[in-house]
Amino acid sequence: MTTTARPPAPPVRSHPENRKWVGKSIRRVEDPKFLRGRGGYIADLVRPGTLHAAVLRSPHAHARIVSIDTDAAAALDGVYAVVTGAQAAELTEPLPDFGPDPAKHTWRCLAVDKVRYVGEGVAVVVADDRYLAEDALALIDVDYDPLPPVVDPERALDAGAPLVHEALGSNLAYERTFDFGDVDADFAAADLVVRDRLRWHRSGGQPLETVGAIADFDPSTGQLTAHTNSLSFTSYLFMVANTLRIPANKLDIHQVPAGGSFGSKLFVTKPLVLAAMCSRLVGRPVVYLEDRVDNISNCDHHGSDRVYDVRLAVTRDGRIRGIDIDTVDDYGAYIQFGVGHHGNALAQVTGPYTIDSVRYRVRAALTNKNQQGAYRGFGSEVNNWMLEQMVDKAARELGMDPVQIRRRNFIRPDQFPYFIPTGNVYDSGNYDAVLDQALEIGEYDRWRAEQTQAREEGRYLGVGLIAAQERSVFSATEFWFWFDEPGAPVTSMPESVTLNVDATGGITATLYSCAFWGNSPETMVAQLVAEEFDCDPHDVSIIYHGSQGGLPATGPGGSRTTVMLAGAVEGASAKIKRKARRAASELMEVDPDDLEWFDGGYQVRGVPEQRKTLGDIAIALHLFKHSFPEDVESGLEESQVFDHPYTTMPSADRKDLGVFYPFMGHACHVPVVEVDIATGEVRILAYAAVHDCGTLVNPRSLAGHIVGGTAQGIGTALYEEFVYDDTGQLITSSFLDYSIPTAMEVPHLRIGHVETPSPYTPHGIKGGGEGGRMMAPAALNAAVNDALAPLGVRVTELPMTPDRLRAAIRAAGVVTGGR
Amino acid sequence: MKPPPFRYSSPTTVADAVALLAEHAADDARVLAGGQSLVPLMNFRLAQPGHVIDLRRVAGLDTIRLAGGELVIGAMVRQATAERSPEVALAAPLLAEALGHVAHPPIRNSGTVVGSIAHADPAAELPAVALAMDAELTAVGPGGERRITAADFFQGPFTTALGADEILTEVRFRSFPGGHAFVEFSRTHGNFAVVAVAVLVALADGRITRSAIAASGLGGTPLRLTAAEQAWEGSTAGSAAIDAAVDAGTAGLDPAGDLHAGSATRIDIARSCLREALERATERALDRR
Repeated sequence: MTTTARPPAPPVRSHPENRKWVGKSIRRVEDPKFLRGRGGYIADLVRPGTLHAAVLRSPHAHARIVSIDTDAAAALDGVYAVVTGAQAAELTEPLPDFGPDPAKHTWRCLAVDKVRYVGEGVAVVVADDRYLAEDALALIDVDYDPLPPVVDPERALDAGAPLVHEALGSNLAYERTFDFGDVDADFAAADLVVRDRLRWHRSGGQPLETVGAIADFDPSTGQLTAHTNSLSFTSYLFMVANTLRIPANKLDIHQVPAGGSFGSKLFVTKPLVLAAMCSRLVGRPVVYLEDRVDNISNCDHHGSDRVYDVRLAVTRDGRIRGIDIDTVDDYGAYIQFGVGHHGNALAQVTGPYTIDSVRYRVRAALTNKNQQGAYRGFGSEVNNWMLEQMVDKAARELGMDPVQIRRRNFIRPDQFPYFIPTGNVYDSGNYDAVLDQALEIGEYDRWRAEQTQAREEGRYLGVGLIAAQERSVFSATEFWFWFDEPGAPVTSMPESVTLNVDATGGITATLYSCAFWGNSPETMVAQLVAEEFDCDPHDVSIIYHGSQGGLPATGPGGSRTTVMLAGAVEGASAKIKRKARRAASELMEVDPDDLEWFDGGYQVRGVPEQRKTLGDIAIALHLFKHSFPEDVESGLEESQVFDHPYTTMPSADRKDLGVFYPFMGHACHVPVVEVDIATGEVRILAYAAVHDCGTLVNPRSLAGHIVGGTAQGIGTALYEEFVYDDTGQLITSSFLDYSIPTAMEVPHLRIGHVETPSPYTPHGIKGGGEGGRMMAPAALNAAVNDALAPLGVRVTELPMTPDRLRAAIRAAGVVTGGR
Repeated sequence: MKPPPFRYSSPTTVADAVALLAEHAADDARVLAGGQSLVPLMNFRLAQPGHVIDLRRVAGLDTIRLAGGELVIGAMVRQATAERSPEVALAAPLLAEALGHVAHPPIRNSGTVVGSIAHADPAAELPAVALAMDAELTAVGPGGERRITAADFFQGPFTTALGADEILTEVRFRSFPGGHAFVEFSRTHGNFAVVAVAVLVALADGRITRSAIAASGLGGTPLRLTAAEQAWEGSTAGSAAIDAAVDAGTAGLDPAGDLHAGSATRIDIARSCLREALERATERALDRR
């Protein structure tokens, strides 16, 4: 490989030893309020007098709106406003859109000239309550002129396919092929080229509370105050202000616990814009809270929906040299985040392996479906599944053991920091250690013996084993390195914390981005503060600052929150301690350099009885400022804005995408399944998951992430799919048809942790919010394929429904199956 | 997901309920029991009754009793109550077993046995049980009371022999001495069945003397698999008899496919469920003797 000139890495940190709180399992500080029903979700915050909005959804996949008659709806008693898409386009600008060339696929809060998917909003009604609002929706008469729908993503790219957006001139929103390394040479040198075609269907996060917003516009000040359970990109709120034509400094957004996001509430602006538009129009507070059908059909956060044609270049001894990936991704009717999902894939495209070259062709197809957004993994989980499928297929074709082929290709611990061909760096890792522990707690050898026994009895047991990456802490370059013209320098993606020590020494931490998303920001900050100040984490008070006047904050996404908050806490704590040290030195009349921090206070080195606790220092700073020199201000409060610690520019020719997802976790999952070949039912008999997310802050809450993510991965693998039929009808518009695994379908997980600290983050922490779902689909597919290996069956399409499994088994000649 | 306006009555006698149903017939009046099917349909606005007549306060509808060898379950008996009832366990263990497959416990706490039968969802469990047990349904209308056999009751998806002016007040199950089994395949726990099979079998001297086999999920109504019954009755209980019953019971079926299973998969699943149910019912019949 050629050596690329790269910007230097940040300095390698030394991490403190003998930590008191970081690494300790504690009860989450958020739990009591949620368990007592005092979480304060959107529906809890609706006050008497607030008006309710409801959205009329398109019943058509693709149709021109000929006319809309709202007279009867507007005349209904208790209805305050009926706004059509055309009227909304007069009141608001298009919604914030990070996609390529948004002017060619303009996205608005309500459809204007035509509807592009079933569920797209056509009009909004504001009424005294949601019942009345829905009564009014039933009175709106829309005259549609149906158009032929575009449903299949590959057919969408055919010449002559109906156009989702005429202005774009085709349904291809983006196409590019990247070569990293010498792909052709690696394929020419391969002993074996493994090929496959793989299909991953769309599913999505299913929050308990759907997306909602309460907006209150004050005409006397021009200020819009809103509560919403979305919007993690706090630093990008000015874009919403632009959509609403409100000055950014007149927009105050207050954080509301997500009630479940899993990515699906990432920067959801539509409900906020609808509520705000309506509030300004009628001069009263308005709530818009999606119902379940709204959320499933119109949430703008369906997950990836990909077709893959892949080639893997392998040598006879099992070394993987190159990979050639060609994917078509069905983005639905809009493309709000561009192909950032593939940036996620490119962050870890070669997995934990020393693959030298990558060809990556992506085509983003537009179809008549709800658009893609974010779902736990943001597209990297699909890449994990694809790669592990290919590695397993290579092992099968080479007659190698799945463990052996992985060990053969692992990046070794002494190779870190390791730059993969795309230019992203893996900071640290120890993949053999993770695999060793997974084989042990997963009882791999015992299950292999059981499998042999079961096969003799005509039962189809399978052991899955996958080893895959869990990238964390994204840099926004991945949203624009697709284009030759960079829109910006490297973005810094800040996160901020303010620490205030009151006169009694009590600590309050102020956070500036989203409230609870499942990532326990309050627990993380409480533990990190406790680590710095030797207090009990449950004694740390956590509050949120609304967006107005708030410090820079980006919010959750790409498993960044804990690392970024840790940096902010570290910086703010250092400032507090600097001031406290100086104050203590004044109070004790000793040189600051003679003081050391010990057990919650400063004491004179070697003279432990001469000390001031943080409380002693704080009361002096709060009440007795004149005891201190002129330049010491009253109080003890400091803030830190922490910026992304390691991200670099892509090269101009895009042969190297720079560092954009550097803190690389890793995991190995080992599920054991039994497939009933007569019915296509998959039962999970055992499941082991070992993760390495660097230094653990709270093993207990990370285990919760692993269990929850794995449960969602089980859904992706076996149950969940947004199904659109050939006419573009969404036939899974409620939980009657969209199947989600229950506790009964999720087995007990055996969880293990390996800790390989990051050299570049506070304490060596890496993000771990998405890992379970990034592994489980691949692992379960591997297990099912292992079970069906005696029949020669490989399943290449998720979810693995009874229909798909039976079709594959039937094709292998087992007509009715069973005994 | 909110219903349009409707009127609500809560009568205390069957006669009053029947009178209200007649009085508000023009408003598409509907009877409400546990509300686990009607209320979601109203929330989706798929059902828009102008008047809802709640049976909750009607006296005498919430009892389970054994009368003359029959198990009688009133229209307001909750599924959870029936599931835990000693009378049901004694007289209709097939029903007790099936109730464990109906949705989740919170739904069974509200949903009623009779309501599920009256709703006649072709994927539901209890209609298949009613059909296998030759249950009789008591309907009360302006003209008085009549009995409808389960075989006559189910006419199509969500369509029954009940008149628009009638209310189901109870279901009567005759006990079936022998073995029973209820086997269901669903995508996830508590979901509607893709296919469910109810089997009753009586043995004498190791031979199958009498059986009743019904299934849901294989047509627009629950199906009585009489071909399967005929195929194994008279045979010695065992795998040959079960093979014959499985083949006969699933021959000629042409179920409509849906999202959860296509037609061919549905038959594959039916064969598997039927086999398991026949085996389990036979074992239990052998145990009883």
